[in-house]
Amino acid sequence: MILAPQKGRALIVIGALASVFVALGFRLFDLHVLQHKELSALAQANREQVVHQQGRRGAILDANGNLLANSLSVRIVTADATITATQAAAIAEKLAPLLKTDVESLSQKLSSPSHYVRLNPRAKLDEDTVQKIRAMKLKGIFFEDQFIRSYPNGPLASHVIGFVNSEHKGVQGIEASMDDYLEGQAGYEIIEHDRKGHEIRALRNEELGPRDGFNVVLTIDQVIQHVAEQELEKAMVEFKPQAGVIIVSRPKTGEILAMSSRPTFDPTDISGASVDARRNRCISDVAEPGSTFKIVVCSGALNEGIVSLNDQFDCENGAFMYAGRILHDAHPYGVLNVEEILFHSSNIGAAKVGLRMGPARLAEYIHRYGFGHKTDIALPGEVSGIAHPLARWNSLSITRIPMGHEIAVTPLQMLMALNTIANGGMRMKPMIVKSIVDPDGTPVLQYEPQQVGQIISPRTCMLMTTALRKVVGPDGTAPKAGVPGFDVAGKTGTAQKVENGQYVRKYYSSFIGFFPASDPQISILVSLDDPAGGAFYGGSVAGPVFREVAEKVAEYLGIEPQTPLAEVAKLS
Amino acid sequence: MKRNRKRESLRFGTVTKSLVVCMCIAISGLGYVWQKNAIYRLGDEIKKRETALSSAHKRNLMLAAQMAHLESPAQLEAECQQYNLSLVAPKESQVVRLYEPGQEWDMQMANAPLPAQLPPQARGPQPKTLAKR
Repeated sequence: MILAPQKGRALIVIGALASVFVALGFRLFDLHVLQHKELSALAQANREQVVHQQGRRGAILDANGNLLANSLSVRIVTADATITATQAAAIAEKLAPLLKTDVESLSQKLSSPSHYVRLNPRAKLDEDTVQKIRAMKLKGIFFEDQFIRSYPNGPLASHVIGFVNSEHKGVQGIEASMDDYLEGQAGYEIIEHDRKGHEIRALRNEELGPRDGFNVVLTIDQVIQHVAEQELEKAMVEFKPQAGVIIVSRPKTGEILAMSSRPTFDPTDISGASVDARRNRCISDVAEPGSTFKIVVCSGALNEGIVSLNDQFDCENGAFMYAGRILHDAHPYGVLNVEEILFHSSNIGAAKVGLRMGPARLAEYIHRYGFGHKTDIALPGEVSGIAHPLARWNSLSITRIPMGHEIAVTPLQMLMALNTIANGGMRMKPMIVKSIVDPDGTPVLQYEPQQVGQIISPRTCMLMTTALRKVVGPDGTAPKAGVPGFDVAGKTGTAQKVENGQYVRKYYSSFIGFFPASDPQISILVSLDDPAGGAFYGGSVAGPVFREVAEKVAEYLGIEPQTPLAEVAKLS
Repeated sequence: MKRNRKRESLRFGTVTKSLVVCMCIAISGLGYVWQKNAIYRLGDEIKKRETALSSAHKRNLMLAAQMAHLESPAQLEAECQQYNLSLVAPKESQVVRLYEPGQEWDMQMANAPLPAQLPPQARGPQPKTLAKR
């Protein structure tokens, strides 16, 4: 039997409990029904995380598949300096020996007012060091995976390969021109993690893997490039020029096998490289070509049938008055035929061939050979050179342009002009990229040699080759450029430099040539800017460099000498 | 007695049914938990292997770069000098050139007479025939 006061208390308790349950019920209803959308989104955001993954940048390979540039994944030690600031000195002391840096600078970084400080942006950490740092369990120190660009050959072909900026974007060379192919595509994962932040793999929601960039295969051969760089370096020491370039190519296809430029830089550390050193002089520097340009006027005149190799011109004993100005030869010559004009490199003879040809036809051949236009090589920074239109020629131009004055060309343009002669008159587009392949090596894009057009006839080329062979002969201007056992055809160039609008006693010494002359396999250009020490003629400065490069390249490529070397030794 | 027996048999059936249902529920529950565990375990396994694959890939890239550096002409030259190997390029007289059989060679071979068509002196030494006994 329940008494009245007890009943009353029971009712109060029941009422209180009921109201608590009603309140709880309402709260549950509020959380699960009324606020469901916002709260479930908040909960998901707490659990889920979007992890972005960077795609690896593709590699750059040489013609034989040797690695010239690739991207490496490295661990970067980063710090939340707002956490590490209080113990900066102690942490710095522990980390400095492992990161191979000094305690003071590290301590400064650790106490900066930033949430994100990279402690080893350049140094590559091995796995052992990473584990050691992990074991220290330092608060505010964490790791980040990042790609860095590696150039295993150091400065080799640096002007061709180029470099990337801190955001892994190509800035110069192939890195810049092929950036679209090289760049990888980022991927992402939507993951759920546990309390400790570890991913719960089974609950991975969405995944789109990153795509690595394509690899770019160049026509450059790293051994030939090394030979070119080595010989250019030797020439830089011997002749102390301000700058120098060597280009090696295949005349029949236009493939560039080596492209070297001095001064140079190391793409792994561009901070110390000047703008001057980073410039690829083979395509971005223009200069008057000097006597090498005589191949253009002579081949044009021969092609038009205006002259034959035996046609004679009076070279006025070294001084020719035209339009009120005297034109000089390096050595006085009397009457020379066209062949002799080429191998003695007579300015007056070339000027007279030009006069017989006429300005319109000369201008036409300059245009046909591609001067004044970019060669469209797949490298950034190429310039067109300067070839004035006929309307801007003055009365002297017709005598000055044939000897390579009043015109400015890039070394590559000049070599491609010679290649046209070596290739039976067919002008080829220079080729530096051979193919684009995917990371597994499957070709995606194959580049084929491209013909620009027939500039001169094969017969003219044969005549030109006959004359150019004599340039390296005993009576020519470059006997030192002769390669034992091989028939070499070439042309020297010694162009005076212009400073402040005036010709000064400084020279561009150059030699361009191809071999074997009967079946050209290789063409080489050597050019040195202002060699010191007295010698400045192209034949005596650039000629020997050409020979050294040609000998080594022939040996490496197994090009058979026309005269067995044993016989050459006997003859010499 | 009969009624009692009937009641007992009814209870046994019900109990058996209940037990079967309970066991089914328990098995399903345990199976679900086991499967969930297996999924998480496999997920962890996949994650570990993904990590291992990724590090192997990174290591591979690192080694490829190291290999490229060691095989670079400059490095090879430096090694040759360091170990004084006195390596030199072969002389032309030491080189034997083998020509790739190309179209010309194929045509030459196609037109070449068969050994049987060659005169006896060009066929080389002939096998001796044994006299019949």
